[in-house]
Amino acid sequence: MSPMIRGLSCIVLLGSAALGGCASHPNGEQALQQAGSDFQKVKEDANVLRFAPKDVIRAGESLARADRLSSYWGSGADVVHYAYLSQRYSAIAREHTEQALNQERGAKLELERQRLQLALRESKLISVQQQGKWLEEQIASLATTQTDRGLVMTLGDVLFDTGEAELKNSANRTVLKIVQFLQLNPKRIVRIEGYADSTGGEQENLQLSHDRAQSVADVLVDLGIDEKRIQVEGYGDQYPVEANASERGRAQNRRVEIVFSDAKGQLGAAR
Amino acid sequence: MTFRPFLAALAVVALAGCAADPAPNEQIRLTQQALEQANAVGANPDESPELKLAEGKLTQAQADMADRSYKDARMQAEQAELDARLAEAQVLTRKSQEQLNVLNTRITRLRKQLQLGEAQ
Repeated sequence: MSPMIRGLSCIVLLGSAALGGCASHPNGEQALQQAGSDFQKVKEDANVLRFAPKDVIRAGESLARADRLSSYWGSGADVVHYAYLSQRYSAIAREHTEQALNQERGAKLELERQRLQLALRESKLISVQQQGKWLEEQIASLATTQTDRGLVMTLGDVLFDTGEAELKNSANRTVLKIVQFLQLNPKRIVRIEGYADSTGGEQENLQLSHDRAQSVADVLVDLGIDEKRIQVEGYGDQYPVEANASERGRAQNRRVEIVFSDAKGQLGAAR
Repeated sequence: MTFRPFLAALAVVALAGCAADPAPNEQIRLTQQALEQANAVGANPDESPELKLAEGKLTQAQADMADRSYKDARMQAEQAELDARLAEAQVLTRKSQEQLNVLNTRITRLRKQLQLGEAQ
């Protein structure tokens, strides 16, 4: 075959492919309209233009390409394809914008959180100063002991109202001490363990003991301790320290214990 | 000299598109990368219809490659890439929203604590 004939046959083949091949696409017009309206929306959104200009440009380029192709006979499938790409770029632009906006919102909220955290710390300090000495006797049940589980601090029943998980304000001094201790010992972590007395159902006691431990953990987090350093457990009425027979014994069993890790962050195994 | 008409024909074929699309190896690679990235941020085809679409289209594109239908392969792969990028972006948006929710919860709790402190 001479090169001339070869070239000719190529062209003939091509012509028949164009004639027989790609049929015109009925959805081309509709796809183009939809992509156009999506693009219009992102283009008019000042935030999208600010945060995702590249995606908007790509959406525009794909749309222009689809539009150009729509004037060619037999390119319906290509029109649909580029309209699809344009719509995807518009959608991606919106997502990227939302992310960036959330980041801005997050930064503002973070500042607000820090401000509130400082205010809370200050108010707790003031309230501790106001409460004076008589309170110290009330927190007599607070003690730190070295046990086989490690260093353990007990927050007694006096720091919670009966049946309530919310930590009372009289716990402020203790809580501040713990926060201070954890800030001075950044490697140490704690496990906060809640315990209940034997009155009430097993399930309720588990829940209440866990909720009390959690509310102590929440206050620590609110005061700036990283929540990764805090584990929370509720043991219900297990592991009583006194017999549940007397009111005094039950009061001692209603408690939250804070188990401190060693200086390297090694915490004894949970019970 | 005798090559000239052949070259001209080749140029026509190359320009005309359809019949003589080159194999879209680079696009396939890009698409695979986009899918990996979507998976890496935690997108999951059971939750994301976009990611499911992307996987289906990539499979189709690879089948088209094997059939040497390069134009179809390229179109499927291009769509799959953007489907995957959208899936990834949606996951990241959702995560940023969840972070905001955590912050808002903490702020609410702090406000409540401050009010409690004032009341006592």
